[in-house]
Amino acid sequence: MSRLLRIVYRIMESRALTPIVIGIFLLLYIGIAFFTEESLIVLIGLVKSNVILAAFFSLIPLNRLLRLVDEVKRYLAARRALRGEGIVTVSGLFDETVEVKANSDLAGVESRLVASGYATRLGEQSLAAWRGITLFPARALAIAASVCLFSGILLSLGGRTSTRGAVVEGAPLPVAEGSGGMVERIALEHAPGPIMAKSLSIAVASDSGSGPVRTFGLYPPGSYHGAFVYPRYLGIGLSYVLFAPDRPEPYESNAILNIYPPGKEDRKEVPQSPYSLMFSLERPDDGSDPYMTGRMTISCKLLKGDSVLASGSAPRGGEISGNGYRIVFQDIRRAVLTDFISDRGVIPIWAAGMMFMLAIVVWLPVRCLAPRRELLFVAENGVVRACSRAEGQRRKHAGVFHDALDAIETIHMKYVLK
Amino acid sequence: MIALKLLPQLVSLAGIVLVLGRAFAGHRLVVAVCCSVGYLAGVGGGWALVRSFPGNLAFEMIRGVVGASFLLVWCIAAVALYRSTGRGAAQPWGERLAASRLCAAGNALWASVIAGALCASGNAGAGLSSAALISFALAAVIAVCAAAAGEKLLPRSFTVSPAGMTVTVSALLLFSSSSSLRLDLFSPLTMKVMKFTHDFVHQFFESMLIPDHVFFTHTTWSYIGFLFSNGVGFWGALIIWLAPAFLVIAAHSLERLPPVAHIRQGAQRRKLVAAAVRSRRLRLVTPMIAVAICGGAVYQSRFPTVEYWDPKPLAVSANQTGEIVIPAKGEVDLEDGKLHKFLYKQGGREARFFILQTPSGALTVDLDACAICKPDGYGQAEGTVICYYCKTLIPLETVGKPGGCNPVPVPFVVKADGVHIDGLNLINTWGSTVQSTERVKGGGK
Repeated sequence: MSRLLRIVYRIMESRALTPIVIGIFLLLYIGIAFFTEESLIVLIGLVKSNVILAAFFSLIPLNRLLRLVDEVKRYLAARRALRGEGIVTVSGLFDETVEVKANSDLAGVESRLVASGYATRLGEQSLAAWRGITLFPARALAIAASVCLFSGILLSLGGRTSTRGAVVEGAPLPVAEGSGGMVERIALEHAPGPIMAKSLSIAVASDSGSGPVRTFGLYPPGSYHGAFVYPRYLGIGLSYVLFAPDRPEPYESNAILNIYPPGKEDRKEVPQSPYSLMFSLERPDDGSDPYMTGRMTISCKLLKGDSVLASGSAPRGGEISGNGYRIVFQDIRRAVLTDFISDRGVIPIWAAGMMFMLAIVVWLPVRCLAPRRELLFVAENGVVRACSRAEGQRRKHAGVFHDALDAIETIHMKYVLK
Repeated sequence: MIALKLLPQLVSLAGIVLVLGRAFAGHRLVVAVCCSVGYLAGVGGGWALVRSFPGNLAFEMIRGVVGASFLLVWCIAAVALYRSTGRGAAQPWGERLAASRLCAAGNALWASVIAGALCASGNAGAGLSSAALISFALAAVIAVCAAAAGEKLLPRSFTVSPAGMTVTVSALLLFSSSSSLRLDLFSPLTMKVMKFTHDFVHQFFESMLIPDHVFFTHTTWSYIGFLFSNGVGFWGALIIWLAPAFLVIAAHSLERLPPVAHIRQGAQRRKLVAAAVRSRRLRLVTPMIAVAICGGAVYQSRFPTVEYWDPKPLAVSANQTGEIVIPAKGEVDLEDGKLHKFLYKQGGREARFFILQTPSGALTVDLDACAICKPDGYGQAEGTVICYYCKTLIPLETVGKPGGCNPVPVPFVVKADGVHIDGLNLINTWGSTVQSTERVKGGGK
């Protein structure tokens, strides 16, 4: 049983596992592409709905985690070995290991290594030499980032829920359960910057009304009642009343219109009637943004089939009339069509992005300028076991290693001849 | 002319024999015999396949096999890179198998059968006579013999690694397939990459809760917009296309030098290391040649030498009721199976469209533009129409059906006096299609 577990563990921690799993998903994607144009959407849907596929995908974060453990074990083992604490037990720790017949006098070699720019530690039976900065932190950070990334994707695939609602000034925040705090203000402003041109802020009073006001921006989105507040599109909340000669009762409606930026049209049907209304936001003559200034004038056309019964534009409180029809705009407010997203995978993915960037920032200069190079000589029973490892500048380091071995043998020969 | 068309195929075959002969230097005869037999079998099989299956099915099958081989080469290149960067020991059984006669024969048959099938199907429309076919078979055998003899003239130090051999042979097959429109893999790959990138970026934005484009600066959005452009399809496909060869180059470049620390003579150590470095450099030659061949395949795909039927659009006008009436047998014969283009102008706006009789006998009226690409129009080749912008081939059977890169169908009525099309509808359809493709795609030729 323990043998079986060992085999399973070896497979799980294999460097090949992640590329194989990704390769199989790639093949699956290619296979799906033969049948549909929406291959990626279908593949995501399959992984979401199929436990076996999800479990198969989960091998990636598990494998990356075990790789991280292995990386840490190797690093600690290498440190122990360089400190002269015990023999090297982890296989493949060094790039090259060789045994030469020699006595235990390693002091002569130490001076050569110091002259080559290596720091040294001479023990009773061992000599360690090293140079440069280890890439272990960058490597560990990159692996940890991959753990976060794939865990995040898995969590996101498994448990993402999304509810769309319209956030309207002066109305409670629409949350999945119950009602949220009152939306006090929605502000769209110019934000001259290299990436974002506009900023959006949604100020929401606390649920109880006595707590502090919370403000939600664009990015990174804030969370409310455990869900991210993800503004999607800007809209206009319009409260209007339609008076028609053939309708005894006026028709009153509170509509969320998708009419931003100015000029964009949105059509609303009047239920159980042949009428429909076409709305758009007027572009002010001064070129200002009506959503920003709050001075919003709405153009409206009342249609019956293809014929226009009345048309015109009016601000808040104004009205449009013609042919006995009247449309009164009782209120116009800013609105934001917002997704409330519950997703535990987002934060690990963000963290992964930052960790990857940090890893590259550390890795690149260290790898180019001062990669870690290590040498270890352990004398035992008339034999010196020499180990070498380099994270960069391998050829130069190998030259130093070979010179050191030559020196060890020369010293030994002198000792023998004496 | 036919001989000129067949020349690249024979050159590909010779290249395959040359590379395989050097990779399996101990089994040259096996390689030469298997390549000759396999090629002739491939030509026969491909010819029979094209005759047996109507339409594009036979071409799709052969293209599928080439695509699968390319995928396999991708795997081999990835494994080569994995092994070269790993700390694990080499697997001698794998190397023994790779050098065996069985492997040599298998590889030679695999490559030559596909090359033969590509040659036969690529020239299916050439109408080769029996005498021409026999001459061609003889030429193929001569090419194999010449390549086998030429291989012996190459310097002994020039070695080909198993991975290098695989990518080079695959590159030659891709080159061979890209010489025919219906077998080309690069153009469909660009479309798939474009679609994948579009979907991926969209999903990424949604998943990472990134705001809508109205909040971004124009500069930022134009960078993001590149990911939705046709350019990303080309460059992405090019990366996928060349990646196996570059992976093998990386694998050879990252190979560790042999351990020499046990040797106590410095001169001998340096000699061994220098020999290993030289051998490594020589093994880089074949994958580098593969990069060049793949580049040639891309060039063939982007600039095919095929001449399309692309008539100048005839100007048409609408009658008093706004209908365009085109007689079935008037200035042009609409039922001759050829694509006939027309240009309709109305109040400063214009629309280009074509009428075509599909193989089923039905007429179809379509815009000379699709809903995806810029409206560069279509040309007609054997059994297909091609979108000039993205080089996608659309089988004649599917012209008239909406979606993808198909020409946008236009409603029409066939009456006794000809084909009737609503002029306003035509202009509006053209306007909305062209506006949307120009807005979305941005770039262009």
